[in-house]
Amino acid sequence: MTREISPLPYTDTKPVGAADFYTAINATFRFIFNRFGRDGLLHYWHELGARYYAPVSQQWSKGGLHFVAEYWRAFFDAEPSAEAEVSLHANEVCVVVTTCPAIRHLRAQGREIVPTFCQQCYFVSESMAEPAGLTVRVKGGNGSCVQRFMKRSDCSAAQSMEDIATAL
Amino acid sequence: MIGCYDFCGHYEWTFGWLEQLGGHELVRDYWLEAISEDSQRHAADLIVNHGLEGMRKYWQHTLEEEAADHVITSTDEVYRIDMHQCPSKGFLIKNGLKQYSDYCDHCMGWIGPLMKKAGFVIDHEHNHCGQCWWEMRRKADPTPPSAPSALSGKNDVRLLSNWKSATTDHYDRTTDPDDKTAVS
Repeated sequence: MTREISPLPYTDTKPVGAADFYTAINATFRFIFNRFGRDGLLHYWHELGARYYAPVSQQWSKGGLHFVAEYWRAFFDAEPSAEAEVSLHANEVCVVVTTCPAIRHLRAQGREIVPTFCQQCYFVSESMAEPAGLTVRVKGGNGSCVQRFMKRSDCSAAQSMEDIATAL
Repeated sequence: MIGCYDFCGHYEWTFGWLEQLGGHELVRDYWLEAISEDSQRHAADLIVNHGLEGMRKYWQHTLEEEAADHVITSTDEVYRIDMHQCPSKGFLIKNGLKQYSDYCDHCMGWIGPLMKKAGFVIDHEHNHCGQCWWEMRRKADPTPPSAPSALSGKNDVRLLSNWKSATTDHYDRTTDPDDKTAVS
């Protein structure tokens, strides 16, 4: 099953995003955490995944894991200096991120990274996956990680926050 | 993961989310604390310390990286930007995204406080269609904003046939994002 339209819900005229925006993403997390604590930041990530990225959830509901794989391939192709491999298996999509573009850029700019920065990859993706009957498990972080997307019925173990590294 | 490719989309969405949570004051605080003083601190370092030369360095890099269709006019007294096609607002228009009342206000929201700190005031208009112009002068300089084409010649965005819009927001020698009047 292939599509002629982009797997990304929102598209730009330029093929790759501007890395300087990672500093604003990091600063946004810090602002919300400082104002509203961890619960506030988790709420923000959940709402962002469930509302802003709702078109992605709808695509995943229609196309299942195949569309999940297409989405993440297109996603990392559009992120500057990202190095990631996406593989589609019978029961899961495995995203191996060897160079996280955000962590790479924030370090290069000498920015203080929000310690829970990498937890966004679980909480935002989980909010995108849940309406499609899918779930995600994240292991690693702080520059490289593995993200596995699968049917909720195929995954019994909860995400351990200890599996997600503190960003430095 | 939240990416930078569609940054303008989730950035604009965040304005609306914050406004629902804490009203307009929270959005203003976000532009000041998160964007002006944190994310864009490299801009503040350049402009507060080096004035007009800092503006040249900052916007030359950032507007090229964002592939903005723009023209810069810079003298020893004024720094002017004519934005013919804003990539940020353009992204929102292209994708039909509108969560917040006036996305364009965010620029004054973070640039205004920075210019205040650097000792500059801003004359500015945006037409909500991805076009705007800016003139930054030292606060002690009483020169009024330039008339159309007087400073940037044929590159003045106000000369474009599609400059006129239903509402254009106008800022006069200010640094406050709320200090604007709507011009029809």
